[in-house]
Amino acid sequence: MIKLTIDGKTVEVKEGTTVLEAAEQAGIYVPTLCHHPQLTPYGGCRLCMVDVEGARTLQPSCTMPASDGMVVNTKSQKVLDARKFVLTLIFSERNHFCMYCQVSGGDCELQNRAYDEDMTHWDLQPNWTPYDVDASHPFIVLDNNRCILCRRCVRACGELVGNYTLGFEERGAKSFLVADYDVPLGESTCVSCGTCVQICPTGALIDRQSAYQGKETEVDHHISVCTECSIGCVRDVLTRDNRLVRIEGDWDTEPSNGLLCENGRFIPLEEDRPRVVTPLVRKDGSLKAATWDEALDTIASGLGAGKGLAALASTKLPAEALAYFKSLFADKLSADTVTTLEEGAATASLSKLAEKLGKSFESSLDVLKDTEAVLSLELDLVKDHQVAGFFVKRQLQDGTKLFVAGCDDCALAANAKVTLPLNPGSEAVLLVKLVDAVENGTDDADLAAVVDALKAAEKPVIVYGKTFAANADEIALDALLKLADLTGAALVGVKGNANSMAAAQLGLEAPFKTEGASAAVVVLGDEAPTAKLTKDLEKVPFVVALSAYESQLTGAADVVLPVAMWAEESGTYLSMDGRLQKAIKSLEAPEGVLTTLETLEKIAGAVKVQPDQDWKTSLMARIPTIQIQEA
Amino acid sequence: MTKPTVASDWLCGCAGCHMSLLDIDERILQVVDLVDLRATPITDLKEPDEKGVTVGILEGGINNTYNEEVAKRMRERCKILVALGDCAVFGGVPAMRNFVGVESALQRAYIDAESVDAEGLIPADPELAEMTRVRAVSEVVPVDVFIPGCPPDADTIFYALVELAQGRIPEIKNDKLHWH
Repeated sequence: MIKLTIDGKTVEVKEGTTVLEAAEQAGIYVPTLCHHPQLTPYGGCRLCMVDVEGARTLQPSCTMPASDGMVVNTKSQKVLDARKFVLTLIFSERNHFCMYCQVSGGDCELQNRAYDEDMTHWDLQPNWTPYDVDASHPFIVLDNNRCILCRRCVRACGELVGNYTLGFEERGAKSFLVADYDVPLGESTCVSCGTCVQICPTGALIDRQSAYQGKETEVDHHISVCTECSIGCVRDVLTRDNRLVRIEGDWDTEPSNGLLCENGRFIPLEEDRPRVVTPLVRKDGSLKAATWDEALDTIASGLGAGKGLAALASTKLPAEALAYFKSLFADKLSADTVTTLEEGAATASLSKLAEKLGKSFESSLDVLKDTEAVLSLELDLVKDHQVAGFFVKRQLQDGTKLFVAGCDDCALAANAKVTLPLNPGSEAVLLVKLVDAVENGTDDADLAAVVDALKAAEKPVIVYGKTFAANADEIALDALLKLADLTGAALVGVKGNANSMAAAQLGLEAPFKTEGASAAVVVLGDEAPTAKLTKDLEKVPFVVALSAYESQLTGAADVVLPVAMWAEESGTYLSMDGRLQKAIKSLEAPEGVLTTLETLEKIAGAVKVQPDQDWKTSLMARIPTIQIQEA
Repeated sequence: MTKPTVASDWLCGCAGCHMSLLDIDERILQVVDLVDLRATPITDLKEPDEKGVTVGILEGGINNTYNEEVAKRMRERCKILVALGDCAVFGGVPAMRNFVGVESALQRAYIDAESVDAEGLIPADPELAEMTRVRAVSEVVPVDVFIPGCPPDADTIFYALVELAQGRIPEIKNDKLHWH
């Protein structure tokens, strides 16, 4: 431990602590701009300068390591003058006129720091050089005129996302932010995760969708869980007057600590499918608006006694709704098929394996954040479960070795040391070969590279996705376990949609067959049905759809009931690594539109059954592939 | 004791700061009790007294030679000069034209704009003031008090006037301080 004095206060901190962190621990505020808790200290803006006794000049506290006996003053006149001077220099460097900037009025860290110092104006003349504004990207506007060269975005793009799209061209005051080798951002290697926008302290990087839609002081925050995939990133949903304004990551929360991908941050704001806002019933060949009673009566008579009935639910629905769905259709109505739109593809084989073993065998996603070797099986983490891909890609620079099997042309393979060919169905062949290579050695250079790296790594990881889970047979899975055992590798299964694992725990993993089905109930929530499902359902004489949005499927259904979309209902989600998390309602549903659970309750009432409400017990009844824990 | 005298004028601004001043509503009676309100653009007397005033207030930035004269005259005739609003403090919205230059701004406004017909003409009367880069008041004459805001709130203006009337320099900070 190190003892130092800051503003007369003695603080004891661990070795390696910076002066800034020590001040924070002592409850002393030092203003910063280029510094960000999620990034490596940089010392670029000089706003955090402090007086260190014995030092020749003021020192940047964000990069200065605390040392024993150090005496620091953060409020001397010299420090206060330097702060104002640093801010004056930054303001005068470019176009930092607050009256025509989108982030002015609470959202701009530069402006806030100036207010903190009671700056009514700045004394230097601005530099009137205009820079081009790059608005080529569908979601992000890059305005170098507002840039303070703090490089937070550049560092976030590299250190956190591992994408290295953003960088700087030129030197000194002429430096400007570019994408790749100075191409328009919209044509660059940007993956639209938006981390740069979230981390930018000024209006240099703003998102088009929320620009001028509401400032920090005018919006409501809803800390919720992302329902776009099974990772379960925590996101902050910003709304104003029952309108979605923006979605941000939450820096302080696992698993992604602020990171989101395009699907979690920007795509939900692009939603433009027409809503279903009233029950619809098919009359004389066409769908017509109906009362709830009329629609429920039609459902009750159409479903019959459950014979020939198939029920399908989206794996994006909350666990409460999924459990109720199962109880209603499987337990109470004894439907022939009760499953999800994913049909257990991402989980069924793995759930069975856990049951066979009598224990969980998968590891938390965290292992991907700190590993020396990763073997990815039939999975493109650049496209699916992107944030997990960020965890891997950001370590490659530090020497983490990535091996990709069964994803030859995918974007992740471009980052791989070695790619191994793997055709769906031949998982067992490859895994048995790998096990053999570990045990007996191999002449195959590629296989040798993989097993050597896995063996040499302290914490190797084998990660696999939906295609692998759907295709792997018992031999493949046994080989997978053996390989993990021999190399000490952690196993990570990314599963599918947000509640893929909850569906697995409820045993909703059966394949969907239309043969013999006389009626089908499809609980879509806000999920867009695939063309295949729409086509399959054409063969079913009576189709009920519960959907937030209109689609070809709802157009062909016999009864359509409106339900809430993701932002309009609260509920529980079980992430791929077993965390039970809450999604929080952020918007009011249109009048008369109920949550999926409430709508299912109406159907239960109409068919006069009382399904089980205890979703948690049902969820915990089965041995999970990974230990379940409440977040 | 005679009341302190106050004069104001506007330069390259939108008059919004004076509107915000009027937004103090009935409190203007308290101000009139405390000070002798002399020349303003919204009263009959337009030019500050030659013998000088205690407080001079300027709204707007300086974008031509005429504004420069007005600013210098106010500076000469007042003891305390207040820059009121973002244009006076920073150059404000009109300063956006500095990024393109006077010539292309005129070209756009008088020739290229969609609303201009074929006979578009850039005003060039010799009696017109010569246009310059838009400057903050402090770039041309020394300023004693800066009240930024677009416009500053009526409450802030009222507070500043009351302080000035009683011989104190107002402290513009916390909720009184904003640059937009």
